Amino acid sequence: MQTRTTMAPRLLTCWLCCVVALYSGTARSEWGFDATGGFTYDDNLSNAFEADERKGDTAAAVDLAGGYRQQLGDSTSLGLSLLGTSQSYLHYTGLSNIGLGARALLRTKFGLGAEAPWLALAAQGVYHNYHDDNLDGWSYEAGATLGKRFGDRWTVSGSVRYDAYVANSTPPVIIPGLSGSPYDVYGWNVGVQARFLATESDLVSLSYNWRTGTVTSVTEPDLEVLEYSDRVARTTIFGSPEIAYRINANTQTIGIAWSHTLGQHTAFNVAYAYRRSQADSELGAYYANVISITVSYSY
Amino acid sequence: MIAPPAARVAMLVCLTLPACALAARLSASVHGGDGKPLPNAVVVAAPEDGRLPPLTKTTEVVDQIDKEFVPYVKAVRAGSYVQFPNKDNIRHHVYSFSPPKKFELPLYSGTPAIPVLFDKPGIVKLGCNIHDWMLGYIYVAETPYFGKSARDGRVEVDQLPPGRYQVRVWHPLMQGSETATVQRVELRDETPTRVEWTLKLNPEYRPRRTPLPGEPGYR
Repeated sequence: MQTRTTMAPRLLTCWLCCVVALYSGTARSEWGFDATGGFTYDDNLSNAFEADERKGDTAAAVDLAGGYRQQLGDSTSLGLSLLGTSQSYLHYTGLSNIGLGARALLRTKFGLGAEAPWLALAAQGVYHNYHDDNLDGWSYEAGATLGKRFGDRWTVSGSVRYDAYVANSTPPVIIPGLSGSPYDVYGWNVGVQARFLATESDLVSLSYNWRTGTVTSVTEPDLEVLEYSDRVARTTIFGSPEIAYRINANTQTIGIAWSHTLGQHTAFNVAYAYRRSQADSELGAYYANVISITVSYSY
Repeated sequence: MIAPPAARVAMLVCLTLPACALAARLSASVHGGDGKPLPNAVVVAAPEDGRLPPLTKTTEVVDQIDKEFVPYVKAVRAGSYVQFPNKDNIRHHVYSFSPPKKFELPLYSGTPAIPVLFDKPGIVKLGCNIHDWMLGYIYVAETPYFGKSARDGRVEVDQLPPGRYQVRVWHPLMQGSETATVQRVELRDETPTRVEWTLKLNPEYRPRRTPLPGEPGYR
């Protein structure tokens, strides 16, 4: 089993240097902290095509982000944040993980006022520890979002984003020619989102995201699916011995969310997303329903 | 020829007394459509004879504290200056697109050296280009006779010369126009003349300060 060099200490050092550099202009830097905690239910964690192979579970999830934002000019700011994530699954505890990473966000407004269009360029990397050499690894995201507020109640945005997950280790080869980690996935995303202030304190969001790239599915050993896969590994993450395999797929996600403010800094959020992945091959499509209930706090 | 001291005192008393005795008061009460007292309503009394005392140069203050404008509503007389001290340890970028006063104070900390002159009556809506949820109002009145309602919805305007006035009220969220609220009153003496308004309000749709889950805010 090969193990790639862990980048966590280097990333942390780099992040700390950037924060110190920003903090040196104390009066110009803005400290910020976001925390979101709650529960998420996904009825197809295994990304299974067959109904009897779908594995659903609930996770208690916490996301933390804290850092500084530097106003570089009248319209442009740069934010650097340290990220912490945690997911604890009730049943499939092998999927529980904690993560530590960093994010850079460059945001610029094209004009003056709340209705001026804005562009945000974001990049982040998070190291996830599953206590499983095959699953541990880095998730990366980089993308651009262009948004605009229309009147008092509507905000519309569109985004392009690249995501990747790079596992630390390569599992033993079980089928010659299908080497490499099936958990190494990547994809390009294009999304649009509309937000509507239904009341003074209730925000409703509708979103659509299209992703093309690779996904990991888990199934009982099945020679047929291996025809369409380029990477395969044994796994017992859902209890019984199964195989994880990687395929190319196009994934569409439609989401609706409701967020109710509980004061200047706190909000209660409920979100639902329907995700459908169509394999490039004859495997067909799988779908998932994801529901989350969270409370978010920002300071 | 110089008058003796007693005569001078008598003259002074004569000059002063009528003015004091004739100063009138206006006591207003403003409620929302739900019947609750309405703070931040500006009550203005405009003399029907159009006579106004000369303008004295004043400088008022609208602070920025914890990324909010304080006070949320400020009433000033036309011709007044307003300072915008930034009491946060970050920078703000104050602006207004409102016709009575379009201005911009680009990214700054501390107190800008030059205050802003508000010389045209009307309503000036304030914003911050960094923190979109920051919202404030300056009501620029054509007369010096105005007041802003407190938490109990009450406004006291005193030291008004007796006479006939048109009084009106304005609130940032009120439905309908300010001119529709005009009441004609005659103010005679110190006994407060009472006026009341009940205003139907619009919701206030501000950009959110709390970010959504998974999305970095820009507080």
